[in-house]
Amino acid sequence: MEIKDIIQSFKDSLFTGLIALALFGPIVGLRTASKGEGLFITPQWGVVFLLVGLCILGRFLINLNSARKTEITFFSKFTSKFSVITEDKAKHFAITAILFAVVFPFLPFTDRYFMDVAIMILTYIMLGWGLNIVVGLAGLLDLGYVAFYAVGAYSYALIATTFGWSFWICLPLAGLFAAFFGILLGFPVLRLRGDYLAIVTLGFGEIIRIILINWYEVTNGPDGITGIPRPSFFGLPFKRSPDEGETSFHLFFNLDYSTMHRIIFLYYLILVLALITNYFTLKIRKLPVGRAWEALREDEIACKSLGVNPTNTKLTAFAIGAMFGGFAGSFFATRQAFISPESFTFIESAIIVAIVVLGGMGSQTGVVLASIFLIGITEMFRDLEQYRMIAFGGAMVLIMVFKPKGILANRKPTILMHGEKK
Amino acid sequence: MSNLLSVENLTMKFGGLTAIDDLSFDAKNNKITSIIGPNGAGKTTVFNCLTGFYKPTNGQMFLHKEESKISLRKYTDFKIAYVAKVARTFQNIRLFPAMSVLENLLVAQHNELMVASGYSLFGLLNLKSYRDKEQLAVDKAKYWLDIIGLTHRADDNAGDLPYGDQRKLEIVRAMCIEPRLLCLDEPAAGLNPKESAELNKLLKFIKTEKQTGILLIEHDMSVVMGISDHVVVLNYGKKIFEGTADQTKKSKEVIEAYLGVDE
Repeated sequence: MEIKDIIQSFKDSLFTGLIALALFGPIVGLRTASKGEGLFITPQWGVVFLLVGLCILGRFLINLNSARKTEITFFSKFTSKFSVITEDKAKHFAITAILFAVVFPFLPFTDRYFMDVAIMILTYIMLGWGLNIVVGLAGLLDLGYVAFYAVGAYSYALIATTFGWSFWICLPLAGLFAAFFGILLGFPVLRLRGDYLAIVTLGFGEIIRIILINWYEVTNGPDGITGIPRPSFFGLPFKRSPDEGETSFHLFFNLDYSTMHRIIFLYYLILVLALITNYFTLKIRKLPVGRAWEALREDEIACKSLGVNPTNTKLTAFAIGAMFGGFAGSFFATRQAFISPESFTFIESAIIVAIVVLGGMGSQTGVVLASIFLIGITEMFRDLEQYRMIAFGGAMVLIMVFKPKGILANRKPTILMHGEKK
Repeated sequence: MSNLLSVENLTMKFGGLTAIDDLSFDAKNNKITSIIGPNGAGKTTVFNCLTGFYKPTNGQMFLHKEESKISLRKYTDFKIAYVAKVARTFQNIRLFPAMSVLENLLVAQHNELMVASGYSLFGLLNLKSYRDKEQLAVDKAKYWLDIIGLTHRADDNAGDLPYGDQRKLEIVRAMCIEPRLLCLDEPAAGLNPKESAELNKLLKFIKTEKQTGILLIEHDMSVVMGISDHVVVLNYGKKIFEGTADQTKKSKEVIEAYLGVDE
């Protein structure tokens, strides 16, 4: 390495330090503390200088060793190897993953916390798979997907609390309602594509949330809906002491009462719902309508010139995607037993879109990996409180740097003329 | 030979600009009719009017079917291909690049397959009636791929094909909707002489073997003169000449329009 290069990398590191200072200065350096009457700012310049120093040093070392290059090749090699494994052995991978998911609740280290995280990840996987139909297959960037999640949750909650119907009746109804809203959103945005579509869907998501807050008579406004019936195991409730004339789950199966029973049941419920979503998507992708979705994503004008009706094609994508969002919403409502508009903010939509995009548009396995990666990492760093969002952002940056097209970007044709390649 | 398409007094205005000015011509069944003219003469605009992408300001376009005739003005958008069976290709190739060659040809048969799959219901149930129909669609795709010699690449992405093959694929994709009129917008653009010759062969095959009339926009005179039965020459949106290829070559007006004239 020549002197010139060293000076160059030194300059580069100083510039990195400048950026670090601009970021850490206000975020870390100025700490607000409440003393008696009001808020006071306690500067922490020591920590800032330490962090900035670390950044400069780190950058300088990276530049010196030109480690960046090897690092990138290492990572992309690793990830491409990984995608080769998941592509080639797709079936084995899927079966192993499903088997693992099935035995997961009974593994020795699985406790309540793990189960909660697993249920959350599965909910996001299901939402990701639902959105994958709209974004991944039909190529319609929907930033308001949480609206359908909310419609599903609220329809479930309202139907269940008003009529007292069981989960298995309310679930399809909630899905239908969500699908209806999907079509409702679909109509005005038929002509829009790309950025414009994204903005309108984003607005739609907010409209639904604001209606939920303000329509007090029906939705109970910001107070939310409480007392949503818990799911029962085919009529057997999960209760310590059942009501008169009822048998509860643990009595029927002669088990000791445990709150875990209900958690495990919820876990299997969302697992089954998610797998149904996946199965349905994999099937419909190979049907004419699925191919038309993908063709629409590739080139709408060419679609029209071939006689494909873009209106119907888009609306079915919106409706079916929304339906699965509605199913996930119902599950969310019955799991929480309480819902309020707060649960359906834009950040949820953003996370779901992130899962689909980072997973690799249209890839079902990619959605699973991205959900585990993003939600799992955010959970792992829960102790860091608000800083855990840095971990979330970091995870996104990592994926985008090393796999700009998403974790699994390979698309398999829906039909083959010559059979599988050996 | 019977008329397939008659265009009558077609006019298309964009604001103050008249792109097509009172154009009338006919195209016949099982014949190749070429539309030529300098850049900006309004050739592609004629296509866009015929295939429902533009709504013409004035004039009529009729597609003749046995004794009856249907007005193309009534159909817009996807219905031109779906109902009137007018197919087209584009100046800049518009394949579905990330989908396989076979899938491209199946999307072209979308409407029949949609009915066969019971609007997805039979397909989801995986009924035999649907699987048979799908096999028929694959066979049809194979028939066309055999003709253009791309069967071995059926499972590759359309975007990975060489340029010349993409051109041919776009034409046979349009043929998969079994059109009565096939509109080709500069199919020979960017092809080398060998590929152009292959294209001529393909177009002649379609002309003679299929019940399809071809409307062709082309700059490559080796293609136009080699295969056209009838040539319509446009300049500034007006028809300046109409006749056979040989007559066109000798026409004074056409030479003037292309090369200019001494003052």
